[in-house]
Amino acid sequence: MKPKKIGVYICHCGGNISDYVDVEKVRQSVEGEDVVFIAKTTMFACSDANQRDMVEDIKQNELDGVIVASCSPKLHLLTFRNVSVRADLNKYTYVHANIREQASWAHSDNKAAATEKAIHLVKAAIAKSRYAQALETNKIKTTKAVAVVGAGVAGMKAAITLAQKDTHVFLIEKMPAVGGHVAEWGSLFSTNETGSEMVNRLYNEVKQYDNISVMTNSEVIENKGSVGNIMLKVRTKTENDNEGHIAEINVGSVLMATGFDHYTPEEGEFGYHSSDKIITLPEFKRMVDTQNGKLVHNGKEVKNIAYIYCVGSRQTEGENTYCSRNCCTSTIHAAVTAKNKFAGIHNFHFTRGLRTYGKQEIIYAESLRQGDIYLQSYEEDPATVIAENNKVIVKINDILTSGKELEVEADLVVLVTGMVPRTDSNMGPLFKIPKGRDKFFTEVHMKLRPVETVIDGITIAGTCQGPKNIAESVNSALSAATKSYTILNKGELETDPLVATIDPEKCTWCGACEEACPFDAIIKTDKNGKTIAEINNTVCKGCGMCAPVCDPDAVNLIACSSKEIMSMIDALV
Amino acid sequence: MNKEIIIQEDVTQNVPLQGDLGGKTPIKNITYDALVVGAGIAGGETALNLANTGYKVLLVDKELSVGGKMIMLSKVFPTLDCAACITTPKVSEISRHPNITIFTGSEVSNIKKINDNEFTAKVTKHPRYVHIEDCTACQLCEKACPVNVRDQYQFGLIGRKAAFIPFSICSPKAAAIDIDNCTLCGACEKACPTNCIDFTMETEEMNLHVKTVVLATGFKLFDPENMPRYGYGKFKNILTAQQMERELAPTRPYNTILRPGDGKVPDKIAYVLCVGSRDASVGNPLCSQICCMYSIKQAQLLMGALPMADVTIYYINIRSFGKGFEEFYQQAKGMGVNFVKGKIGKISEKENGNLILRYEDINEGRLQEAEHDMVILSTGVLPNTGIEKFFDNQTLALDPFNFVGQSDALISPAKTSIDGVFVAGTAIGPMDIPDTILSAGAASSEAISYLLAPPTSPKGRL
Repeated sequence: MKPKKIGVYICHCGGNISDYVDVEKVRQSVEGEDVVFIAKTTMFACSDANQRDMVEDIKQNELDGVIVASCSPKLHLLTFRNVSVRADLNKYTYVHANIREQASWAHSDNKAAATEKAIHLVKAAIAKSRYAQALETNKIKTTKAVAVVGAGVAGMKAAITLAQKDTHVFLIEKMPAVGGHVAEWGSLFSTNETGSEMVNRLYNEVKQYDNISVMTNSEVIENKGSVGNIMLKVRTKTENDNEGHIAEINVGSVLMATGFDHYTPEEGEFGYHSSDKIITLPEFKRMVDTQNGKLVHNGKEVKNIAYIYCVGSRQTEGENTYCSRNCCTSTIHAAVTAKNKFAGIHNFHFTRGLRTYGKQEIIYAESLRQGDIYLQSYEEDPATVIAENNKVIVKINDILTSGKELEVEADLVVLVTGMVPRTDSNMGPLFKIPKGRDKFFTEVHMKLRPVETVIDGITIAGTCQGPKNIAESVNSALSAATKSYTILNKGELETDPLVATIDPEKCTWCGACEEACPFDAIIKTDKNGKTIAEINNTVCKGCGMCAPVCDPDAVNLIACSSKEIMSMIDALV
Repeated sequence: MNKEIIIQEDVTQNVPLQGDLGGKTPIKNITYDALVVGAGIAGGETALNLANTGYKVLLVDKELSVGGKMIMLSKVFPTLDCAACITTPKVSEISRHPNITIFTGSEVSNIKKINDNEFTAKVTKHPRYVHIEDCTACQLCEKACPVNVRDQYQFGLIGRKAAFIPFSICSPKAAAIDIDNCTLCGACEKACPTNCIDFTMETEEMNLHVKTVVLATGFKLFDPENMPRYGYGKFKNILTAQQMERELAPTRPYNTILRPGDGKVPDKIAYVLCVGSRDASVGNPLCSQICCMYSIKQAQLLMGALPMADVTIYYINIRSFGKGFEEFYQQAKGMGVNFVKGKIGKISEKENGNLILRYEDINEGRLQEAEHDMVILSTGVLPNTGIEKFFDNQTLALDPFNFVGQSDALISPAKTSIDGVFVAGTAIGPMDIPDTILSAGAASSEAISYLLAPPTSPKGRL
């Protein structure tokens, strides 16, 4: 067999790599390797111009494969596989080396060591490249249906837009009615519609589509299969029957829109439950929306209202370090609404710095014009609430009056509670959607792929990904629907052939691999009278969890075979 | 050997092309499913979504490169991803997509709605004086050109030639001739090894037929020269944050951080927030939504690049509201960035080029002055004006702030006053990159539904 001809490209990443790694030295260290036909450095390997050069190099020199040493393969593995394809190479002949996250960024304090490590990483990639084979992708037929979990505003909007695209939607809602939190609300900021009117408008639209199956009182209890062909079991409870009946549905993608919970203050947090005059923002909004004439709480007319911001958000001690994004605007909107609706209201806002970003600034300006009083606490020194002798007093060291201690006796204290992730939802574990530090679902990439998850075919929309207002939730719902639809609209999907294989000679069926598999891709089967493990190729993700637990070494991963891995280790040490 | 053959082939291909453009050619008709106006990250993402669904897209941008403002950034908050590293693959995907046609240096006008799913428009392609397909970006024309002008893609920090590659990671990566500053000396033409420079190129006009239109026309930044009390343009050591992005970018012009007045490495840097935002006196009452975060990001990058430097951020409110933003703000405080609550009233210059900032220190409750050797103005987001003039027989409604109006802002944020015309990204109002991507996803979804709906079906026009 002819020896392979490999091209190696070492990226400067415009300084991200070359500030710490001597890329020229890396190039020199690998150019002598027998299979390396060309070795080059490049300012941005991912740039259009360099991609064009690579295609030309591959064609002119009849290379058998290329290696790019650059950033994480999460960012650019696909980019360079596609370069190989454009140069008529099989995409699986491409091998990636990560010398940015693993060398330059990790060892920015030691340039020599960073360079040394980069050399080893590239040599390991070369070792792998010797064995890299052309592989064919698997093609699977997909089911043109989407399960939308959660029928709040985000879920309903996603369902409508998918239904418009000739896609069947199962809209699965745990509660007896659709609408989520928005259904609880009266007037909304920036529109004349109330929350319940908006929900009705959306639900009426949902009902017009024959291809949306609304399943209320329903919960997903089982999830099998993978992108393109997902089998879900949905339990629907009825009034008389708590066990309910279970339906099996087949979908190609799942769009998660499970929403948020309101933060519930701890006992005594800003006086919560120490006086009945201390309530939360959702409770206050209901009061404003439902009462007329006078604003009354527990039989007494309310005049002075103190709003305490960031309750359960931006905590310096608690777990919720994040800003809840929507509460500043929501509170000011409620305060302005109260003032317009009821006579003699005085609003006192105890803030930690207002965040009425973008066009929401307008409502802040309006409330200032109406004479609302804003006070701001130092970041480490929040306002305190004292409830004594049926009086409630809010105290603050106010930045805006150069640190004066001010106090307000309030008829009503509104704790501005933020959004927290759903605590009663088991959808995360069931669909293996990872959560971030804030416990909301995490996306693949915070900047550029905000609705996709690491699980192919599972998208996230609305507040299950993080706090959002209605328009932001709807944008993410439409985006997630676009991504789900793009996966399914061709009716066929290509999947990576990088899966596990079982050597039937060696396998003795001990079950260890089945237990290790996080995707339920391994099944027990009988082959020629012998009980062995079998891999379901469409479900297997090639994660490799099964390989190390196999005692007789019967599991091999395509493109990560023992000989490839061992040769890489040899190059690394 | 091979290379010579390629060059010869290209030359022969050029001849009929040149002949074509020299004569009076009839106006060309072109047809696509969708027109996307603006090839920044919003337009690019929309074009990709539509193209991946199988639609043919024409993506038009008036600039010489796709990528909009994002491609010019240093790193992005709060992930500190290198902007070039995450933008270039996107740009590459857009550029290579078989369903996407890109016209750079081009403008759209006279958009007419004929019927549901039927729009016409005029597309004007301004001459680049370089045949993109033949240019190898060898830069020999740049070397040969004797004209020096300020480089708009480096926001005036350095110069460029009249024959120039817009910037190192631009797409298409090809030279262009800045005809307004060109002396027509012909040096570039002689230097070009592929004969791709062509001064006979003329403005090309085309009649476009499409079924839907997406506006992704982006935003512009407030020009701080409109606030003379800050002295931008007069005092040398005041930059805008956009200029600082370039100083911090991997493809930075100076390879270090310098103050422009004397080339000194600064060690006491001030950020002035809300320049042209939240300020009715300059006609913009809105919060620009991104300046707090990009300033905090730059402060962190400066602390990394200049470990001995002091960085102070003068703010009204810090608005770190997005996912991971508050933590990013706390991280900056932990790194030692000074945050001072107070709006800067006036900036004056000392003889040594240092700057005196006069402000009300809110925490202390009194007027203060502080000296810094470099000042960065965090300028706000303004609408690109004139978008409504693209339309001939329909009225594109604007919002009270001159951003593109939304007909159903909460429930269909991408819909405009014209059925079949959608809007994405900062054309709607200030937003950061993830929100722009979401907005582009929304516009894509609405546009695909519109394309799929038979014109007469009442259901499809809900």
